[in-house]
Amino acid sequence: MKVLLVEDNDRVAQFVRNGLREDGHTVDCATEGRDGLFLASSERYDVMVLDRLLPGDIDGLAIIESLRKTGNRTPILILSALAEIDDKIRGLRAGGDDYLTKPFAYGELAARLDALVRRSQGTAAETILQLADLRIDLPSRKVTRAGKPIQLQPREFALLAFMMRHAGQVVTRTMLLENVWDYHFDPQTNVIDVHVSKLRQKIDADFARPLLHTVRGVGYRLDADG
Amino acid sequence: MGSGLLRSTSVRLALGYAVLFILFSFTLVGFLWWRTAAYLDREVDAVILADARAVGDRLHDFGLPGAIETIKERVGHAVDEHAIYLLTDPTLTPIAGNLDAWPLEIGRRPGWHQIELAFQGKLHATRFLYAALPAGFQLLVGRDVEDRVAISRAILNDLTSAALLAILLAGAGGLLVRRAILRRVDVLNHTTTAIISGDLSSRLPTQGSSDEFDRLAQTINVMLQQIELLVDGVRHASNALAHDLRTPLAELRGRLEALQRVPAEGSPIQREIGGAVADLDRVIAIFNALLRLAEIDSGARLSGFRTVALDQILAEVVDLYGPLAEEKGVTVRLEIASDLMVSGDPFLLAQAVGNLVDNAVKYSRAGGIVRVAAASRGDDEIDITVGDQGPGIADDEKPHATLRFYRGRASRGSEGSGLGLSLVAAVARLHDGSLTLEDADPGLVARLSLAKARQNP
Repeated sequence: MKVLLVEDNDRVAQFVRNGLREDGHTVDCATEGRDGLFLASSERYDVMVLDRLLPGDIDGLAIIESLRKTGNRTPILILSALAEIDDKIRGLRAGGDDYLTKPFAYGELAARLDALVRRSQGTAAETILQLADLRIDLPSRKVTRAGKPIQLQPREFALLAFMMRHAGQVVTRTMLLENVWDYHFDPQTNVIDVHVSKLRQKIDADFARPLLHTVRGVGYRLDADG
Repeated sequence: MGSGLLRSTSVRLALGYAVLFILFSFTLVGFLWWRTAAYLDREVDAVILADARAVGDRLHDFGLPGAIETIKERVGHAVDEHAIYLLTDPTLTPIAGNLDAWPLEIGRRPGWHQIELAFQGKLHATRFLYAALPAGFQLLVGRDVEDRVAISRAILNDLTSAALLAILLAGAGGLLVRRAILRRVDVLNHTTTAIISGDLSSRLPTQGSSDEFDRLAQTINVMLQQIELLVDGVRHASNALAHDLRTPLAELRGRLEALQRVPAEGSPIQREIGGAVADLDRVIAIFNALLRLAEIDSGARLSGFRTVALDQILAEVVDLYGPLAEEKGVTVRLEIASDLMVSGDPFLLAQAVGNLVDNAVKYSRAGGIVRVAAASRGDDEIDITVGDQGPGIADDEKPHATLRFYRGRASRGSEGSGLGLSLVAAVARLHDGSLTLEDADPGLVARLSLAKARQNP
């Protein structure tokens, strides 16, 4: 995918750019708001990563606002050193799609970008999600694997549904906490791991081929291929 | 009500004023009475003296019969019903007058006397002049001054009633003054309450009258201005600090991650780098927790307040931590009445309760029970309690347990930043509530008390 990165800190920019390129993405970089806005409005990107605070008179929020005003719907992830809840709300209200606070793990950023792109490609109102022999029916909340019904608690169902929507992609613990529980704080203990391992028990334990994989240091991936 | 009224400054002022007023009026009336009494005494004395002279003159001019004549005349005609006369020979045997015997109290001492005398069947206050006349005759001329004494007693009684009346008036005046003062003070109170809850831009209203309250309000406003400047300065500094630290931390993490991507899986260097990243993530977690605490303490989150249902928040938190407890063999029980509403920030409340449940599970042994409950206490408060059966916290450690970075004896060696309970306490403060730690024998009960949401705000 094609990514625009607007970040004034060279080293952070370099480390994000290198990571994205290693993952096989195309990356354009700008270090100033003006250049960033120019690139953003003249090229087509799959996703943009904008630093909230930029030197010059155009900051990250200003770029988002002018893009959204001209009808540009490209998903945007805001990268910011401002971590207060209000800052986050302001960023999302201005038209950002996700907000990541510095310092961050590259894996977290990459996973969130994947999720943003997947969401923007919007498989409209699917009712059945399928991965290999695992199938979930959203309206009736029925889950089967190889035709055998699997009983899930409501929260386990929500967890599985989120991972199914992002099948093949890495989802981080924070993403799960935010999207499945709507919690935006550090739960102190790795509670998410316990939930995922319970889910894994139910969908993988009785089958030869595992679908739910742990991605070390980053999170989880639901994938038909190991 | 009674002790409340006495605690009111205005009522105390009014009572103090009443006491002063009473002292003043008593002094004034007392002085007037004293002067009047002295005047009346002089009048009586002058009359008595004139009578005595008249009798003495008659004795001198016409001898004993003349004096007797005069006395009889005066007593007989009752010129003055209060007048008392007694003329005796040198052995004090009565010769003339309306007294039957020489009063013992007077004895043989000539001059002025004031005595209580049994007279016409009653004790009367009387004043006498005792004069030794030529040839050994003794003359006693006096006046019954009982009326004057009665007047003075009446005045004393009136003064007492007046004092009571003055106290009542002062009390009523005090209440009026109190109401007037309270009206002004209430305005100050409302505004300062808003300021305490985080709205530093509020200012006290002034009336432009330059009275004491206005001047007080002006002074407080200047103080608020200063505080706002300082707080803004601190906030700005900590934002700048946060920003300045976040970027280098991001750089550092980026470098370590870049090193991790060098393909040398499993080498000791890779393991060390992995450890460094984990260490760095702990630093970042503490850093984030500190900033979150600062954010809560600044009151900035008050804007996120709304009426929230506690049963939902608690159920979701228990749902999140339930599997963790299950894995440890700990049972989590949720006991909550429905429709307990509080006014607050749902995310912060969830985080606070989450921290308490996380701690409770962490310190529980396998087979233990963690009780999460919420219940009304009185009409205005709700207690959220999280109890475990773990080692608890010693009494001497309890006051420190909510301090930042404090790690109790039981928690040494386990994970955690020492900020978990600080955050709960900060959330409690933000909600005008409190966090208390109690013994459950065995175990610990953390009690988060919050104000109940008003039904119709």
